Amino acid sequence: MKVTLFEQVPYRYVPEGFEKRHNSVVTAPYQLVEPGRMTESLFSAYSELLHGARAGFDGICVTEHSQSSYDISPNPTLLAYAVACAAQAESLDVAITILGRSLGKTREPLKIAEEYALLDCISGGRLIAGFPVGLSYDANLNAALPAVETRERYREHRELILKAWSEPRPFPWNGRFEKYGQVNIWPRPIQQPHPPIWIPGTGSPGTLRDILHNDFSFVYLSWDGPKLTGREVFDRYWELAEELGRDRNPYRLGFVQVVAVSETDERAEKEYGRHLQAHYRAGPGAIPLTALAVPGYAEPAAVEGMLRSAGHGGMLTRLRTATYKELVDSQVAIVGSPATVADQIEAFVREFRIGNLLVMLQNGSMPRDLTEKSISLFAEEVLPRLRPIWDEDGWTNQWWPCARGVPVTEAAGGEKA
Amino acid sequence: MTANAADVRDETVEVWDSRLRLHVKVAGDGPPLLYFHPLPGLAWQPFLDQLAQRHTVYAPEHPGTSPGEPQAIREVQTFTELLLVYEEMIRTLGLERPAAVGQSFGGMVAADLAATFPRLFSRLVLLSPIGLWRDDAPIPLMQMVAGPPEEVPSYLYAHPESEAAQAAQALPGDPEQIPKAIAQRTWNIGCTTKFAWPIADHGLGRRLHRIQVPAFIVWGREDALVPVMYAKEFGSRIAGSQVEVIDDCGHALQVDQPERTWTAISKFLAG
Repeated sequence: MKVTLFEQVPYRYVPEGFEKRHNSVVTAPYQLVEPGRMTESLFSAYSELLHGARAGFDGICVTEHSQSSYDISPNPTLLAYAVACAAQAESLDVAITILGRSLGKTREPLKIAEEYALLDCISGGRLIAGFPVGLSYDANLNAALPAVETRERYREHRELILKAWSEPRPFPWNGRFEKYGQVNIWPRPIQQPHPPIWIPGTGSPGTLRDILHNDFSFVYLSWDGPKLTGREVFDRYWELAEELGRDRNPYRLGFVQVVAVSETDERAEKEYGRHLQAHYRAGPGAIPLTALAVPGYAEPAAVEGMLRSAGHGGMLTRLRTATYKELVDSQVAIVGSPATVADQIEAFVREFRIGNLLVMLQNGSMPRDLTEKSISLFAEEVLPRLRPIWDEDGWTNQWWPCARGVPVTEAAGGEKA
Repeated sequence: MTANAADVRDETVEVWDSRLRLHVKVAGDGPPLLYFHPLPGLAWQPFLDQLAQRHTVYAPEHPGTSPGEPQAIREVQTFTELLLVYEEMIRTLGLERPAAVGQSFGGMVAADLAATFPRLFSRLVLLSPIGLWRDDAPIPLMQMVAGPPEEVPSYLYAHPESEAAQAAQALPGDPEQIPKAIAQRTWNIGCTTKFAWPIADHGLGRRLHRIQVPAFIVWGREDALVPVMYAKEFGSRIAGSQVEVIDDCGHALQVDQPERTWTAISKFLAG
């Protein structure tokens, strides 16, 4: 399987009890920030991602959010580009995943086509292109686009980007939302007709159907871990795959999991426990539920379904007051020694047929040295146990960058090693 | 004759090159009157029964807000198209110079119809309409729509705890029906805010001078959604219009002050 280091870019110094007074998105007060600590928070994210690439992760991954304290990443291409350049300089063969630019939020989809293409070129064809709709607060409050149009924008923008990447000659685009007399972007992705496409989502049937129909790869991006809501979503995915005549290739499915590793279970709890609890409370837990579903973002049947299932399963409504014990017992976070972590991950990965695992090892206030320790231990002692999973089944991973075998020096125009 | 809910009938009107079937609630007897509903959709209230005593009331449901037809909103891409859809509807119904009453979001629709088609209506009543914007008097529409549901009444009513305000926000008594009701109301707001997001300013202020029919603007002095200073903004832009401000009254006029609101409107419509 493929294992990617997933990072968000939190401000690491939100004061204790933040979630009792503030939301982490849209209205989060910037007055709480000390400029020097912002610099440090941003640089730490870069440093940790590069540390992960050096430690042997198959890929690194970043996401996009605006006006938030838990992920200061209004344009993740910037951070990914820095890591991609550093990886080139050190000849590290690491995939660069953006999960991704929000296509339902953007007012400039062609800019995303251009920036993704730049990343694919600078990395020597190592980009994985994430195409999320975008969270409602981001698309409908931050970008202030009418909620009911979010998915229509998403579909048009995705179509435009795919065409801009692969159409050999300049073409006009007369869309509902975008109009261009001539589209002719420079550069184009090295990976043609397009880099691998991963679609993150929370598992609504419409999204899953769209992903399978188009032969993209799904990444279940939730705050719930595998145990609470995983079975429902993963079972639905594989059932739909069968219905649509797709094979059971595990690389069709990715999953993001929060993990923290130390030498022993006890040390892990001691070192990471308070950071994890504070992260869930002040980060995702402090997103008001109404901001995740601005009226019109979800169709009436989906809203009715959410209301009827509210309180069953997921932790979302309780994260603001969640305790470390609840987080670990429910596997929202998997914390412990390398053996503990590897056992838990291997079990659910095999059970749900997950081919692309994304592990989130930095959370909230967790400092850089501690995070890098967790990254190193994961890479040295957990990753080797996970990587061979699915090897014996002989599946082809067509959702991984095609340039993975090309030495970086060659892609960079240098001499072969 | 007093109309009541039993006398309200549902008509469908095919418009927009047969791409839309608008649902129109019709009641009463007398000269035609159109009622354009606010953001959460059409609710048949006592106020509409009162109007139906002297008029044939036609109350269209905004595209997408009719139960079972959520996708209808996709057929109307812009606010201009919405105005054209309603103009077509009025011609298809064969209404000759109806009076128009528009409330909040519906007030913006009615005002812009009157400005865009100066001979469409006979009279115009605007009940605390949105549609204008002043930087010194921001309208917290986004905050209300995307904020906690329990805070909505404080934007709409001068007395959110009053019986009338509670009744206006009430959910079905049968708990099994509540998720469907919330989902419908939420979607309705998605369909109307499509043309009011994040700021409901389509340039109406530059067109209001085109309105040529007698116009009556009614506002609640304690309106916490659209501040009362907008009454003057509308009044000063529509030549010959009358403005009435009702004391101890919020955005939902006929909930906070049903009698005073009705007295003012009925007098104007009769004039």
